[in-house]
Amino acid sequence: MDEIRWGLLIVSYLFLGGMSAGLYFVSALATYLQDGGQPAYPRIARVGAMLAPWPVAIGSFLLIFDLGKWYRFYKLFLHFEWHSPMSIGSWLLVGFTLLSLAYFWAWLPAGVIDSVVSRLPKRLRVLGIVAWPGREGLRRPLAMAGFPLAVGVGIYTGVLLGAVQARPFWNTNLVAQMFLFSALSTGCAALILALSLHRDDLEAREARLLYSIDIVLILLELFIVIPYIVHGALSPLAVRQALALILGGPYTFAFWVLFLTLGLLVPLALELYEMKPVLLERASLHPNRVLAGATAALIIIGGFVLRYVFVYAGQVSSFQ
Amino acid sequence: MRKNLVARLGVRTKRYALVIDSRKCINCKACVVACKAENDVPLGRFRNRINEETRGEFPKLLASFEPEQCHHCASASCVRVCPTGASWQRGDGLVLVDTDDCIGCGYCIIACPYNARFFNEETRVVDKCTMCVHRVDAGQPPACVETCPTKVRVFGDLEAPDGRLRELLSTRRYVVKSPQTGNDPHIFYLL
Repeated sequence: MDEIRWGLLIVSYLFLGGMSAGLYFVSALATYLQDGGQPAYPRIARVGAMLAPWPVAIGSFLLIFDLGKWYRFYKLFLHFEWHSPMSIGSWLLVGFTLLSLAYFWAWLPAGVIDSVVSRLPKRLRVLGIVAWPGREGLRRPLAMAGFPLAVGVGIYTGVLLGAVQARPFWNTNLVAQMFLFSALSTGCAALILALSLHRDDLEAREARLLYSIDIVLILLELFIVIPYIVHGALSPLAVRQALALILGGPYTFAFWVLFLTLGLLVPLALELYEMKPVLLERASLHPNRVLAGATAALIIIGGFVLRYVFVYAGQVSSFQ
Repeated sequence: MRKNLVARLGVRTKRYALVIDSRKCINCKACVVACKAENDVPLGRFRNRINEETRGEFPKLLASFEPEQCHHCASASCVRVCPTGASWQRGDGLVLVDTDDCIGCGYCIIACPYNARFFNEETRVVDKCTMCVHRVDAGQPPACVETCPTKVRVFGDLEAPDGRLRELLSTRRYVVKSPQTGNDPHIFYLL
């Protein structure tokens, strides 16, 4: 490619879409886990549900404004092209956004709805039915329905790139999984960040759940990044030339320092350090808010850098 | 060209392709100019180009010129990735863009291994070589083929049993570019 066609708008969308998928996934997991008939982690579930719809909504707008003719975006929904990852993805995105809004509504505190409705003019007070108490019963079904869609949105952002056989930097079967686990990890990190900024302290058991999930996700990312590089270096010439973009090429610093070291290894070390009492001493951990916030911020920045490196380097790579 | 179901699904009686004898190319760029004039291509953008390569030092040297444009691949990745079906292929093999359905997402530009597509800033949609489909349908050769002074380009129908393309591809050695992408490109470069 002579020029970069997909720029920072697309990078931001891939990042934000993934973050929403991760927020929904972790929140749904927290809704699913029960303790004596009650949600075991209600605060994680609620905060995740409150945050999940917004990044993907912003990201979808960025996606539309990146089009040559933004007002033609509706044409995406007049066609379904099963062989185009973008067509499948845009339908998935709509389904996921609607579901995440329904999930948001199911977790919205009744007090918030009441205080908003009481400020409305009298004729609009009928909107109070939004606070229908039966919606609590919808939380678990919505959470379960969201798992496949959240995973779908998270993995689709990688498939979008991986399905392009003209770009050897993308065209491996590892990019989709890489983007999925990174998406879930950035969503988990967004929850850690939100709870560490929350006026109530990050509770030990909440921190334990979120750190455990995130450690697994980061390890899965490492399981993918290492084969990606090793296998790529042992691949045909075009793939090796593409890989040179991060092995001495223009994206080396961003990949190795900003993503791999600061975005994966340092957060992993910090999370393991926080989890040390649980892992080694069978004691309960004492979460440090500052450390939790810093870890989460590093993961989020690393997730953005990963998408930046892949979107930009991939477009530069070619068979010629 | 507007997408047409009959042209898309119609019985394949023709398969248009291009044979290029790049040793005859003198890099005069008449094909590039003819294409721009014929198709009203915006300033600074091109639907076809000539790749130049120079090697060695005087007096032992080589300068080679290789014309390139859309390869009108049989298994075109641009058509596959298009989310609205705006990129489409006629039964006779020509890969075209329906500019009424194109939303300008740029996925096809990225998916093309030959960098044959570009974003047209004037129409705000994707643009590419159409093999001068309006001329071909009227029985004329593409503008680049007609104008070439050294007869580098041969345009024709692979299905025509006595056609010039069949003759050249049966009697001459040739290559296609980057076959490993699996696109099955249909510009044949004579050796």
